[in-house]
Amino acid sequence: MKPPSILVVEDDNWLSEQFSRVLSNAGYMVHRVSNALSAIEEIDDINPDAIILDVLLTGSTAFALLHELQSYGDTGNIPIIMCTNLANELKLDDLKPYGVKRILDKTTMIPNDLTVSVRSVLS
Amino acid sequence: MSAAKGEHDWFADGPLKDGLPSIVAAAHELKSPLALIRQLSLSIEDGIFCEDEQKRMLRQISLTSESALRLTSDLTRSVRLSEALFTLEPINPQQLCEDIVHELAPFFMAHDCKMKLKTRKHPLLLIANRDLLRRIIMNFSDNALHYTEENTTVEIQIRARDRGKIIRLGIRDYGPALSTNVFESLHGKLMNASTLIHARPQSSGLGLYISGQFADAMNGSIGVKRHRNGSTFYVDLQASNQLSLL
Repeated sequence: MKPPSILVVEDDNWLSEQFSRVLSNAGYMVHRVSNALSAIEEIDDINPDAIILDVLLTGSTAFALLHELQSYGDTGNIPIIMCTNLANELKLDDLKPYGVKRILDKTTMIPNDLTVSVRSVLS
Repeated sequence: MSAAKGEHDWFADGPLKDGLPSIVAAAHELKSPLALIRQLSLSIEDGIFCEDEQKRMLRQISLTSESALRLTSDLTRSVRLSEALFTLEPINPQQLCEDIVHELAPFFMAHDCKMKLKTRKHPLLLIANRDLLRRIIMNFSDNALHYTEENTTVEIQIRARDRGKIIRLGIRDYGPALSTNVFESLHGKLMNASTLIHARPQSSGLGLYISGQFADAMNGSIGVKRHRNGSTFYVDLQASNQLSLL
Protein backbone atom coordinates (compact mmCIF):
# COMPACT_ATOMS: atom_id res chain seq x y z
CA MET A 1 0.00 0.00 0.00
CA LYS A 2 1.25 3.47 -0.86
CA PRO A 3 2.28 5.43 2.27
CA PRO A 4 0.41 8.70 2.97
CA SER A 5 2.19 11.70 1.48
CA ILE A 6 3.00 14.72 3.60
CA LEU A 7 4.07 18.10 2.25
CA VAL A 8 6.40 20.10 4.49
CA VAL A 9 6.36 23.84 3.77
CA GLU A 10 9.27 25.30 5.74
CA ASP A 11 11.90 27.80 4.67
CA ASP A 12 14.54 26.73 7.16
CA ASN A 13 16.18 24.03 5.11
CA TRP A 14 17.63 22.08 8.02
CA LEU A 15 14.43 22.17 10.04
CA SER A 16 12.55 21.00 6.97
CA GLU A 17 15.10 18.19 6.58
CA GLN A 18 14.61 17.29 10.25
CA PHE A 19 10.82 17.11 9.87
CA SER A 20 11.30 14.99 6.78
CA ARG A 21 13.69 12.70 8.64
CA VAL A 22 11.20 12.16 11.48
CA LEU A 23 8.19 11.62 9.21
CA SER A 24 10.04 9.34 6.76
CA ASN A 25 11.19 7.26 9.70
CA ALA A 26 7.53 6.91 10.71
CA GLY A 27 6.71 5.58 7.24
CA TYR A 28 5.35 8.64 5.46
CA MET A 29 6.29 9.80 1.98
CA VAL A 30 7.61 13.33 2.52
CA HIS A 31 7.88 16.19 0.00
CA ARG A 32 9.53 19.46 0.93
CA VAL A 33 9.17 23.02 -0.37
CA SER A 34 10.42 26.31 1.03
CA ASN A 35 7.82 28.85 -0.07
CA ALA A 36 4.11 29.27 -0.69
CA LEU A 37 4.42 29.47 -4.47
CA SER A 38 6.29 26.18 -4.73
CA ALA A 39 3.80 24.70 -2.26
CA ILE A 40 0.89 25.44 -4.59
CA GLU A 41 2.69 23.78 -7.51
CA GLU A 42 3.63 20.77 -5.41
CA ILE A 43 0.09 20.41 -4.04
CA ASP A 44 -1.20 20.32 -7.62
CA ASP A 45 1.32 17.63 -8.50
CA ILE A 46 1.18 15.31 -5.52
CA ASN A 47 -2.15 16.05 -3.84
CA PRO A 48 -0.74 15.46 -0.33
CA ASP A 49 -2.68 13.78 2.44
CA ALA A 50 -1.58 16.45 4.94
CA ILE A 51 0.49 19.62 5.01
CA ILE A 52 2.95 20.77 7.68
CA LEU A 53 3.04 24.53 7.33
CA ASP A 54 5.34 27.17 8.78
CA VAL A 55 3.70 30.59 9.21
CA LEU A 56 6.33 33.08 8.13
CA LEU A 57 7.78 32.12 4.79
CA THR A 58 9.92 33.94 2.27
CA GLY A 59 7.57 35.71 -0.16
CA SER A 60 3.92 35.11 0.68
CA THR A 61 3.07 34.00 4.21
CA ALA A 62 1.22 30.84 5.14
CA PHE A 63 -2.02 32.80 5.32
CA ALA A 64 -1.91 33.57 1.60
CA LEU A 65 -1.45 29.86 0.97
CA LEU A 66 -4.35 28.97 3.30
CA HIS A 67 -6.62 31.37 1.38
CA GLU A 68 -5.50 29.89 -1.92
CA LEU A 69 -6.13 26.33 -0.78
CA GLN A 70 -9.61 27.22 0.43
CA SER A 71 -10.49 28.60 -3.01
CA TYR A 72 -10.59 25.10 -4.49
CA GLY A 73 -12.79 22.20 -3.45
CA ASP A 74 -10.10 19.54 -3.67
CA THR A 75 -7.33 21.40 -1.85
CA GLY A 76 -9.64 22.92 0.76
CA ASN A 77 -10.02 19.54 2.44
CA ILE A 78 -6.32 18.81 2.98
CA PRO A 79 -5.65 18.81 6.73
CA ILE A 80 -3.03 21.33 7.78
CA ILE A 81 -0.73 21.32 10.77
CA MET A 82 0.79 24.71 11.48
CA CYS A 83 4.29 24.43 12.90
CA THR A 84 5.61 27.77 14.05
CA ASN A 85 7.56 29.86 16.55
CA LEU A 86 4.49 32.08 16.78
CA ALA A 87 2.18 29.39 18.16
CA ASN A 88 1.21 31.42 21.19
CA GLU A 89 -0.02 34.21 18.93
CA LEU A 90 -2.35 31.92 16.96
CA LYS A 91 -5.74 30.52 17.94
CA LEU A 92 -6.76 27.19 16.51
CA ASP A 93 -10.43 28.22 16.46
CA ASP A 94 -9.62 31.17 14.18
CA LEU A 95 -7.75 28.93 11.78
CA LYS A 96 -10.08 25.94 11.69
CA PRO A 97 -12.12 27.41 8.80
CA TYR A 98 -8.86 27.32 6.78
CA GLY A 99 -8.35 23.60 7.27
CA VAL A 100 -5.88 23.95 10.15
CA LYS A 101 -6.28 20.97 12.47
CA ARG A 102 -3.34 21.38 14.82
CA ILE A 103 -0.84 24.06 15.84
CA LEU A 104 2.61 22.92 16.94
CA ASP A 105 5.01 25.21 18.77
CA LYS A 106 8.51 24.71 17.32
CA THR A 107 10.08 25.90 20.54
CA THR A 108 8.42 23.32 22.80
CA MET A 109 7.45 20.37 20.59
CA ILE A 110 9.36 17.10 20.64
CA PRO A 111 10.12 15.32 17.33
CA ASN A 112 7.46 12.70 18.00
CA ASP A 113 4.73 15.40 18.24
CA LEU A 114 4.96 15.75 14.49
CA THR A 115 4.22 12.08 13.86
CA VAL A 116 1.47 12.02 16.49
CA SER A 117 -0.20 15.08 14.92
CA VAL A 118 0.01 13.70 11.40
CA ARG A 119 -1.41 10.37 12.52
CA SER A 120 -4.21 12.14 14.33
CA VAL A 121 -5.23 14.39 11.39
CA LEU A 122 -5.10 11.48 8.97
CA SER A 123 -7.29 9.26 11.08
CA MET B 1 26.31 40.98 39.23
CA SER B 2 23.53 43.52 39.27
CA ALA B 3 22.89 45.73 36.29
CA ALA B 4 23.74 49.41 36.42
CA LYS B 5 20.94 51.93 36.41
CA GLY B 6 19.52 52.38 32.95
CA GLU B 7 20.94 49.09 31.73
CA HIS B 8 17.49 47.50 31.72
CA ASP B 9 16.05 50.18 29.41
CA TRP B 10 17.41 48.02 26.66
CA PHE B 11 15.16 45.15 27.68
CA ALA B 12 11.92 47.01 27.07
CA ASP B 13 9.33 45.69 24.61
CA GLY B 14 9.36 46.67 20.95
CA PRO B 15 11.90 46.21 18.18
CA LEU B 16 13.95 49.25 19.09
CA LYS B 17 14.44 51.15 22.29
CA ASP B 18 16.31 54.44 22.16
CA GLY B 19 17.72 53.42 18.80
CA LEU B 20 18.99 50.09 20.14
CA PRO B 21 17.67 46.61 19.39
CA SER B 22 15.42 45.34 22.17
CA ILE B 23 15.55 42.04 23.96
CA VAL B 24 12.31 41.09 22.18
CA ALA B 25 13.93 41.39 18.75
CA ALA B 26 17.01 39.52 19.95
CA ALA B 27 14.93 36.77 21.52
CA HIS B 28 12.83 36.41 18.38
CA GLU B 29 15.92 36.14 16.21
CA LEU B 30 17.47 33.45 18.37
CA LYS B 31 14.31 31.35 18.59
CA SER B 32 14.73 29.66 15.20
CA PRO B 33 18.30 28.39 15.65
CA LEU B 34 17.58 27.28 19.22
CA ALA B 35 14.42 25.46 18.14
CA LEU B 36 16.38 23.69 15.40
CA ILE B 37 19.21 22.73 17.76
CA ARG B 38 16.65 21.37 20.22
CA GLN B 39 14.87 19.27 17.60
CA LEU B 40 18.13 17.81 16.33
CA SER B 41 19.45 17.08 19.82
CA LEU B 42 16.24 15.35 20.86
CA SER B 43 16.36 13.19 17.76
CA ILE B 44 19.97 12.22 18.41
CA GLU B 45 19.00 11.37 21.97
CA ASP B 46 16.25 9.08 20.66
CA GLY B 47 18.99 7.14 18.88
CA ILE B 48 16.74 5.98 16.07
CA PHE B 49 18.83 7.34 13.19
CA CYS B 50 21.89 5.73 11.63
CA GLU B 51 25.41 6.88 12.46
CA ASP B 52 25.86 8.89 9.25
CA GLU B 53 22.59 10.68 9.81
CA GLN B 54 23.56 11.44 13.40
CA LYS B 55 26.90 12.84 12.23
CA ARG B 56 25.08 15.12 9.81
CA MET B 57 22.75 16.26 12.58
CA LEU B 58 25.68 17.00 14.90
CA ARG B 59 27.33 19.03 12.14
CA GLN B 60 24.12 21.00 11.67
CA ILE B 61 23.95 21.63 15.41
CA SER B 62 27.48 23.01 15.54
CA LEU B 63 27.05 25.20 12.43
CA THR B 64 23.70 26.51 13.65
CA SER B 65 25.22 27.33 17.05
CA GLU B 66 28.09 29.19 15.38
CA SER B 67 25.65 31.27 13.38
CA ALA B 68 23.57 32.09 16.46
CA LEU B 69 26.70 32.97 18.42
CA ARG B 70 27.77 35.34 15.64
CA LEU B 71 24.48 37.13 16.08
CA THR B 72 24.87 37.44 19.84
CA SER B 73 28.38 38.81 19.47
CA ASP B 74 27.21 41.29 16.79
CA LEU B 75 24.43 42.33 19.11
CA THR B 76 26.82 43.07 21.95
CA ARG B 77 29.09 44.97 19.58
CA SER B 78 26.16 46.96 18.24
CA VAL B 79 24.94 47.98 21.68
CA ARG B 80 28.44 49.15 22.65
CA LEU B 81 29.06 50.85 19.33
CA SER B 82 28.64 54.36 20.68
CA GLU B 83 31.10 53.75 23.54
CA ALA B 84 33.85 52.24 21.46
CA LEU B 85 36.40 53.76 19.14
CA PHE B 86 36.80 52.06 15.81
CA THR B 87 39.88 52.55 13.73
CA LEU B 88 39.10 53.19 10.10
CA GLU B 89 41.87 52.14 7.78
CA PRO B 90 42.42 51.38 4.09
CA ILE B 91 41.33 47.81 3.47
CA ASN B 92 41.56 45.58 0.44
CA PRO B 93 38.02 44.15 0.39
CA GLN B 94 39.02 41.38 -1.98
CA GLN B 95 41.38 39.90 0.58
CA LEU B 96 38.81 40.22 3.36
CA CYS B 97 36.09 38.62 1.25
CA GLU B 98 38.38 35.76 0.23
CA ASP B 99 38.89 34.98 3.93
CA ILE B 100 35.13 35.09 4.54
CA VAL B 101 34.41 32.81 1.58
CA HIS B 102 36.98 30.37 2.95
CA GLU B 103 35.54 30.56 6.47
CA LEU B 104 31.92 30.11 5.39
CA ALA B 105 32.58 27.37 2.83
CA PRO B 106 31.68 24.49 5.22
CA PHE B 107 28.50 26.30 6.29
CA PHE B 108 27.39 26.80 2.69
CA MET B 109 28.41 23.29 1.70
CA ALA B 110 26.32 21.86 4.55
CA HIS B 111 23.37 23.73 3.02
CA ASP B 112 24.13 22.32 -0.44
CA CYS B 113 25.12 25.78 -1.64
CA LYS B 114 28.36 27.46 -2.56
CA MET B 115 29.82 30.89 -2.07
CA LYS B 116 32.27 32.59 -4.35
CA LEU B 117 33.95 35.90 -4.73
CA LYS B 118 33.78 37.60 -8.08
CA THR B 119 37.41 38.61 -8.28
CA ARG B 120 38.65 41.87 -9.75
CA LYS B 121 41.66 42.33 -11.96
CA HIS B 122 42.46 45.67 -10.38
CA PRO B 123 42.06 45.63 -6.59
CA LEU B 124 40.15 48.43 -4.89
CA LEU B 125 40.81 49.91 -1.48
CA LEU B 126 38.14 51.23 0.84
CA ILE B 127 38.07 52.92 4.21
CA ALA B 128 36.56 50.74 6.91
CA ASN B 129 37.03 48.99 10.18
CA ARG B 130 38.08 45.45 9.37
CA ASP B 131 36.05 43.81 12.15
CA LEU B 132 32.84 45.73 11.47
CA LEU B 133 33.05 45.19 7.72
CA ARG B 134 33.67 41.50 8.26
CA ARG B 135 30.59 41.29 10.47
CA ILE B 136 28.44 43.02 7.84
CA ILE B 137 29.56 40.61 5.10
CA MET B 138 29.07 37.59 7.38
CA ASN B 139 25.61 38.85 8.22
CA PHE B 140 24.61 39.41 4.59
CA SER B 141 26.01 35.98 3.74
CA ASP B 142 23.90 34.33 6.46
CA ASN B 143 20.91 36.20 5.11
CA ALA B 144 21.67 35.15 1.53
CA LEU B 145 21.93 31.53 2.58
CA HIS B 146 18.34 31.67 3.83
CA TYR B 147 17.13 33.19 0.57
CA THR B 148 19.10 31.28 -1.96
CA GLU B 149 17.89 28.06 -3.57
CA GLU B 150 19.74 24.78 -2.97
CA ASN B 151 22.61 24.06 -5.36
CA THR B 152 23.11 27.71 -6.21
CA THR B 153 26.13 29.90 -5.61
CA VAL B 154 25.96 33.06 -3.54
CA GLU B 155 28.30 35.66 -5.00
CA ILE B 156 30.22 38.46 -3.35
CA GLN B 157 30.71 41.32 -5.77
CA ILE B 158 33.01 44.31 -5.36
CA ARG B 159 32.28 47.34 -7.50
CA ALA B 160 33.40 50.95 -7.72
CA ARG B 161 30.62 53.52 -7.97
CA ASP B 162 30.26 57.26 -8.23
CA ARG B 163 33.48 57.60 -10.29
CA GLY B 164 35.41 55.45 -7.88
CA LYS B 165 34.51 57.44 -4.78
CA ILE B 166 32.33 54.68 -3.35
CA ILE B 167 33.06 50.97 -3.16
CA ARG B 168 30.05 48.67 -3.07
CA LEU B 169 30.30 45.16 -1.62
CA GLY B 170 27.22 43.20 -2.63
CA ILE B 171 26.05 39.73 -1.67
CA ARG B 172 23.97 38.31 -4.49
CA ASP B 173 21.63 35.40 -3.81
CA TYR B 174 19.66 33.34 -6.30
CA GLY B 175 16.36 32.56 -4.69
CA PRO B 176 12.79 33.66 -5.16
CA ALA B 177 12.67 37.43 -5.67
CA LEU B 178 11.39 39.51 -2.78
CA SER B 179 7.71 40.21 -3.26
CA THR B 180 6.94 43.80 -4.27
CA ASN B 181 5.48 44.73 -0.90
CA VAL B 182 8.42 43.26 1.04
CA PHE B 183 10.82 45.01 -1.33
CA GLU B 184 9.05 48.35 -1.00
CA SER B 185 8.98 48.09 2.77
CA LEU B 186 12.67 47.13 2.80
CA HIS B 187 13.66 49.82 0.37
CA GLY B 188 11.87 52.48 2.38
CA LYS B 189 13.41 51.32 5.62
CA LEU B 190 16.91 51.12 4.20
CA MET B 191 16.66 54.81 3.42
CA ASN B 192 16.28 55.42 7.14
CA ALA B 193 19.28 54.00 8.98
CA SER B 194 17.63 54.13 12.38
CA THR B 195 14.74 51.93 11.30
CA LEU B 196 14.71 48.21 11.80
CA ILE B 197 15.05 46.33 8.52
CA HIS B 198 13.20 43.10 7.84
CA ALA B 199 15.22 40.92 5.50
CA ARG B 200 13.02 37.92 5.77
CA PRO B 201 9.44 37.86 6.93
CA GLN B 202 10.22 35.53 9.82
CA SER B 203 13.18 37.63 10.83
CA SER B 204 13.00 40.49 13.28
CA GLY B 205 15.49 42.17 10.95
CA LEU B 206 17.95 42.43 13.79
CA GLY B 207 20.91 41.20 11.75
CA LEU B 208 20.37 43.80 9.06
CA TYR B 209 19.66 46.49 11.60
CA ILE B 210 23.01 45.73 13.22
CA SER B 211 24.72 45.81 9.80
CA GLY B 212 23.15 49.23 9.21
CA GLN B 213 24.57 50.44 12.52
CA PHE B 214 28.03 49.09 11.67
CA ALA B 215 27.96 50.70 8.21
CA ASP B 216 26.86 53.96 9.78
CA ALA B 217 29.83 53.84 12.18
CA MET B 218 32.11 53.66 9.12
CA ASN B 219 30.31 56.54 7.33
CA GLY B 220 28.74 54.05 4.97
CA SER B 221 25.27 52.73 4.25
CA ILE B 222 23.53 49.48 3.40
CA GLY B 223 20.85 48.73 0.81
CA VAL B 224 19.10 46.05 -1.18
CA LYS B 225 18.48 45.50 -4.90
CA ARG B 226 15.82 43.18 -6.19
CA HIS B 227 16.48 40.95 -9.19
CA ARG B 228 14.22 38.70 -11.19
CA ASN B 229 15.77 35.69 -9.46
CA GLY B 230 17.00 36.89 -6.09
CA SER B 231 18.41 39.92 -4.31
CA THR B 232 21.64 41.73 -3.62
CA PHE B 233 22.23 43.16 -0.16
CA TYR B 234 25.07 45.65 -0.24
CA VAL B 235 27.18 47.98 1.81
CA ASP B 236 28.57 51.21 0.31
CA LEU B 237 31.78 52.59 1.80
CA GLN B 238 34.18 55.42 0.97
CA ALA B 239 36.99 54.47 -1.36
CA SER B 240 40.52 55.01 -0.15
CA ASN B 241 42.68 57.52 -2.04
CA GLN B 242 45.79 55.59 -1.16
CA LEU B 243 46.12 53.92 -4.57
CA SER B 244 45.94 57.19 -6.47
CA LEU B 245 48.82 58.53 -4.37
CA LEU B 246 51.08 55.69 -5.43
